[in-house]
Amino acid sequence: MENKGITTLNDIKTEIIETDLLIIGGGNAGCFAAYEAKTQNPALKVTIMEKAQISRSGATAAGMDAINTYIREDRGETPESLVRWGRAQLGGGPIREDLVLSNAELLNESVEMLEEWGLPIVRDDEGYYKLRGRWDISIQGEQLKPIMAEKAMEAGAQVYNRVAATNLLMAGDRCVGAFGLGVRDGKLYVFQAKATIVATGGACGIYRSPVTDYTGSHHQTWMCPFNVGSGYAIGIRAGAEMTSLEQRWVAIRTKDFCGPVDTLAVGYGCLMINGRGEKIMADRYAHLGGEKAPRFLRLNAPMTEWLEGRAPTYVDTTRLSSEESKELREDLLNERPSFVLFLASNGIDITKEPVEIFGSDPYIVGGHTGSGYWVDIKRMSTIPGLFAAGEAAGGSPNKFVGGCATEGRIAARGALEYLMGVSLPAPPADQIDREKERVFAPLLRGGAFDGVTAVEMEERLQRLMDEYAGGVSQFYRMNEERLEHALKQVKVLQDQTRYLFASDLHDLLNVHEVIDRLSVAEVLLHHLIYRKETRWEGWQTRMDYPEVNPDLDCFIESRRDPLSGEVKVFTRSYEQLVAGDRTKG
Amino acid sequence: MPPKVDREKCDGCKAENEPLCEQICPGDLFTLGEDKKARCRMPRDCWDCMSCVKICPKGALETRVPYQIGYHQAKLIPLMGTNSITWTLIDLNGKVERFHYINRGSLD
Amino acid sequence: MSLKVTPKIAIFFANEGDELSQSVDLAALVPRFSRAKNVSCCEVLPGGGAGKNREDIIAKYQQGMFNRILWVGRFSPEQRRNWESDLAAAGLNPYLQEWCDLREQGIYHEKDLRELQTQKAMILIQMSLARTRLLEPLEPLCLPGTDAVLVVGGGTAGLHAVAALAQAKKKVYLIEQQSAVGGKVAELGRLYPRICDPHCGLDFIIQKIRKTKSVEIHTLSRVVAVEGGPGNFFVRVLKAPRYVDEERCNACGECRKVCPVVLPEETSGPYGCQHAPETVCESTFRKCAISPPWPLNFPTAYVIARPLCPPHCRKCEKACPSAAVLLDQPPTELTFRVGAMLVTTGWDPYALAKVEEYGYGRYPNVISNLEMEQQDALPGEIREVGFIQCAGSRDERHLDYCSAVCCSVTLKQVLALKEKNPAVRCYIFYQDIRTPGLGEELYQRVKALEGVLFIRANPAVVRPRQDGRLALRVEDTFSGKELDLSVDLLVLAGGLIPSEGTSEIADVLKLPRNAEGFFESHLPCHSEESQRTGIRVGGTSRGPMGIDRAIETAQQAALDVLPFLQETIEVTPTVPVLNLSKCDKCKRCMEECPFGSFLFDAEGFSQVDLGRCRQCGGCMGTCPLLAVSRRHSTIEQLAAQVRAVKPSFLAREEPVLLAFLCANDAYPAVRRAAELGLSIPLNVFHITVPCIGAVNNALIADALAFGSDGVLIAGCRDGQCHYIKGNQLIKTRGDDLKAKLQSMIMDPRRVRLTNLEIRDSRAYVELIHSYLKELKEMGPNPFRA
Repeated sequence: MENKGITTLNDIKTEIIETDLLIIGGGNAGCFAAYEAKTQNPALKVTIMEKAQISRSGATAAGMDAINTYIREDRGETPESLVRWGRAQLGGGPIREDLVLSNAELLNESVEMLEEWGLPIVRDDEGYYKLRGRWDISIQGEQLKPIMAEKAMEAGAQVYNRVAATNLLMAGDRCVGAFGLGVRDGKLYVFQAKATIVATGGACGIYRSPVTDYTGSHHQTWMCPFNVGSGYAIGIRAGAEMTSLEQRWVAIRTKDFCGPVDTLAVGYGCLMINGRGEKIMADRYAHLGGEKAPRFLRLNAPMTEWLEGRAPTYVDTTRLSSEESKELREDLLNERPSFVLFLASNGIDITKEPVEIFGSDPYIVGGHTGSGYWVDIKRMSTIPGLFAAGEAAGGSPNKFVGGCATEGRIAARGALEYLMGVSLPAPPADQIDREKERVFAPLLRGGAFDGVTAVEMEERLQRLMDEYAGGVSQFYRMNEERLEHALKQVKVLQDQTRYLFASDLHDLLNVHEVIDRLSVAEVLLHHLIYRKETRWEGWQTRMDYPEVNPDLDCFIESRRDPLSGEVKVFTRSYEQLVAGDRTKG
Repeated sequence: MPPKVDREKCDGCKAENEPLCEQICPGDLFTLGEDKKARCRMPRDCWDCMSCVKICPKGALETRVPYQIGYHQAKLIPLMGTNSITWTLIDLNGKVERFHYINRGSLD
Repeated sequence: MSLKVTPKIAIFFANEGDELSQSVDLAALVPRFSRAKNVSCCEVLPGGGAGKNREDIIAKYQQGMFNRILWVGRFSPEQRRNWESDLAAAGLNPYLQEWCDLREQGIYHEKDLRELQTQKAMILIQMSLARTRLLEPLEPLCLPGTDAVLVVGGGTAGLHAVAALAQAKKKVYLIEQQSAVGGKVAELGRLYPRICDPHCGLDFIIQKIRKTKSVEIHTLSRVVAVEGGPGNFFVRVLKAPRYVDEERCNACGECRKVCPVVLPEETSGPYGCQHAPETVCESTFRKCAISPPWPLNFPTAYVIARPLCPPHCRKCEKACPSAAVLLDQPPTELTFRVGAMLVTTGWDPYALAKVEEYGYGRYPNVISNLEMEQQDALPGEIREVGFIQCAGSRDERHLDYCSAVCCSVTLKQVLALKEKNPAVRCYIFYQDIRTPGLGEELYQRVKALEGVLFIRANPAVVRPRQDGRLALRVEDTFSGKELDLSVDLLVLAGGLIPSEGTSEIADVLKLPRNAEGFFESHLPCHSEESQRTGIRVGGTSRGPMGIDRAIETAQQAALDVLPFLQETIEVTPTVPVLNLSKCDKCKRCMEECPFGSFLFDAEGFSQVDLGRCRQCGGCMGTCPLLAVSRRHSTIEQLAAQVRAVKPSFLAREEPVLLAFLCANDAYPAVRRAAELGLSIPLNVFHITVPCIGAVNNALIADALAFGSDGVLIAGCRDGQCHYIKGNQLIKTRGDDLKAKLQSMIMDPRRVRLTNLEIRDSRAYVELIHSYLKELKEMGPNPFRA
């Protein structure tokens, strides 16, 4: 197997790269950050560390069928109205309105950039971007990722493909770059950077997927399974403050395949129905806003139908014409082509039978909810020199493609401002040695080591989180004792990581992915325990605290002490900047 | 078990080490076997994004839905043009549907 | 950096003699295209563009009314050239003009079809317009070069090439493996027709070379590595020690008197010759370790076969009056920077021992024709001599081909033999006597000689008799009689094979060779082409040939490399350009380039050597990521043309066919079809590409996706591709695509490959009609709207 002949620490080559700006993760936010930085200051050295191959990496690898937020000013929408809507989607928040506003102000420009770069965006008869719903615009985004990647490279960013971030490089309290594992060459990369942006996407695979156990398809998840939360983990381990991790993103998806439902429901107005044919949102949950109810309720409602004996649940596609069915599947081909194949594999004609739906596994994704790094308005985290954007940055939910792209640009601007006048310290030999030993230890243990594989530990973690921390098998419900049990077990797993072994570099990558998932799971559990209330039913349902507690109308924050490993949880208050009823948008 | 490599068609991209599927896979799942053909080292870890199917110049890759959730043997075959893509969808009963649309540049 | 200028396109309809307006409705087309995107003026030129029109157009261009032109109508190549040069003189870059010839696309004066023709013209103009929008001004590229050239192989061919290049005042390096130049010709006894000594001719050319100061000859040398490309080859040469100083040695021969090494006479018999120049040579006294060079005395310095020297012997060193012996001379490595290379590495005789039935190597009086050359006079007792033709040639067990020279050689040898020994009786066993052209005279002369018998058969049995003579049994195919003959000497006319040096240099330079091992070339157009730009091949390394042709081809090759031997080399700007932000380093372009033009850059990306590149666009055709584009036929331009084809102008049951035409053969065939007035149906659209290998599968996919019912890919005939293997490349890729179509449940016949040559105009038209019929039977393409 491929381990590049590494048998001792001396076999591992170290590659030190100096750069002005390091971007960890060449996805949507990362590509936009690189493009922005290089166009603002072409003389800067901008480097992207990418775990996969930049032209098809991350959450948009397969493409996208819509950009979920675009402000149609001709329809009277404004950045403020987007803030109001986003806030209402979170049941009134709290959200970081400063972040959401600043994002909203640049949002349209980012979308228009994409079109100029060659992304086909559908226009209506009047020449405006064609809406589907209030904020979504239709795109033919099969090539979305390659287009963004090409632009980042054309702008002059240097891309290191197949290098996975393992930890931040620190100079005291300051971040001065990051370490990376060369997945193909077996090198330890040391990126020394005046400023660093984390744009790694969110965390998938903390929880077991509902499809995992009974198919050969372990990665039958909605979120990209290769986004494992490494971006959060490296910050957590370095002592960065995290916000709102308990605000998990769980979505109603097509059953057995985790296919997108918004395309059907928002894009084509297909209503959710239960086993008796009753309209779930429009009728049973009219009091909570009906079809316009916040997303967590749109998840919780159909799952409640299952619990209360009115399953199965569907989106009713039977009213679609065959032209609409074709158009809809064309949209799906742009985002999740295999779902179209799934329908064909089961002989499902969606105009004749409705599409079954079910909840997904929970994800930590700051582009959708507010989970992630606590950042200031320039998107700098609490660690000087470390910025976050996209799914990695917390506080501003509902960013989706356009918002994550925009946040990449804002973070790049912030980073550029910061790095002027910053100088790089000499590479810290002791830190490099320590990281090399830590990263490669599982490989040096060798394939014959009597220990634990990454897959084994990953599955144990996922089952634990599913059953004890509100996974799909528990209909997302949790209580204090279960969470405490989960935390205790996570500690054991963390201790057991010393038994992990890898027989090749791909294995080694998987080992670090499970280590990173454990870092995220630990802090996530602290957040879930701290929020002793049920604020977002479905996303965060505490059976022991079923009501909203007005005292917890604030952000839950955490910081893990890098020396002691102790996780401290605290709150930050919410600030309303855009006036109006918080639950209406 | 996605994805499936047609070993007759695959030419390992004639490369010394990395065929295109290995280069492109977001999950680092492809590798070159000892027979110099592409091999998916962990089919269960595939996300079905179909990047490999789209990029394969020999048409040697196919995404399959695991039998546990989809019957044998529907097919979805992308064909990449310069600025457009076609998909041919064949359901389990052999019914064929075609899709074609622009994926780059203006929609005019 | 090129500044992007917004296209302002002038469309001119050349309506000479109202030809255009009879075929299409200009009154509808002109206003339609006046409004088209990027079109700034759209006019009909009544006189086709002569006289006043010319001044008018130039004036409009100079006023800035347009910055590119789309010509619509019918234009002869001369008209195109004139317009291009006239407008270039006025400042319009020649790459900013586009020609839409409607007649080539099947639009004639068919009154009944005028409406449909107008609709087709609309599409054709759209296609050209789409391409015109994407035209870019291009200027020739300049690469640094040098006037030095390196010739590998110093036989007759090489020497003539060297002389020609030296005369053209180029710096020439000649690399020769032997200790002297001269090659095989120096081993010959007599040359026809004068029956003169070949050394005379060699001396003449050597004297010519000596007079110039610009030739450096390196003997005992071989090329070991080459880097760089045309204009800038860096050639590494390993030079074995001669152990004698070339400058000082005056070939006095004192050294040989003291050399203690005495080599035995050859064991192969009285006629045998030893072909091992480094060890032995002919000598007037005896064979020893130090000897004159071989096969000629140029350079004159002696050479020492060092492995033969007794340990610690330095006698020659002491004996040399000029202190020229250098017993401790090391090998040297030399590097030359040259603009081009010539390969004239010649031939070797076929190993006659393999033709077992004739007893070569077993019987002392069976010799090769080359050995026969070296016999000054035959022993007096010889009365009968047999000559067997095609010993190994034209024989499926040995060499498939005719070695070209052996008939003439035998006839010449018979002539020379009879001159000296008129009484000797000669038998010539042959299949056919081949002495083309003026060689017939030689044949007739020999035929007329007394005592020369031509027998049309090769002996079935050769065996020694007790008296030392050879017994032959042969069935004369004319008389049908079995003859039993005996001879004193049997001469085998052996075949020519590529020399060992030819194989060696082919490996070092990566020069493709044909199945027989000779260098391949595109005979009609680039006969001295080696498939590696800037490297030419001449003489018998290209195939069996006589001395006259070997000299001519070598001189032709020398002439061909002159453009590369300049301070700067001008390259046509239609080069491939790589988009590195799309490139995945998969190296398919490198694998498939017929000219080995791709190299790795420091980061592992492919990089095209613009000097080597022949601009066929095969790389663009092969790139799975569409990262390569050949300028002026970019992938974007081709895609835009394909996308502009709108099959819906015909009823759904009428199939529409898109044909990609190779510019070298298929396009001229189609153009000729139009000139001949053959009926090209309205259903077909033509797009011309530099080489058919440039058509990327994505373009074919586009054509089908946008609704064409069939795609015809018309390349050159096998072996005729100007770019060696464009038609083979597309075949492999086309087969991949067809397999994919099959899996998509589409009829793979919707993609068809064909091979055309320029004369195939009628065949093309017939093919189109039958293909359309086939497509009609298949029904519409499922992607057709």
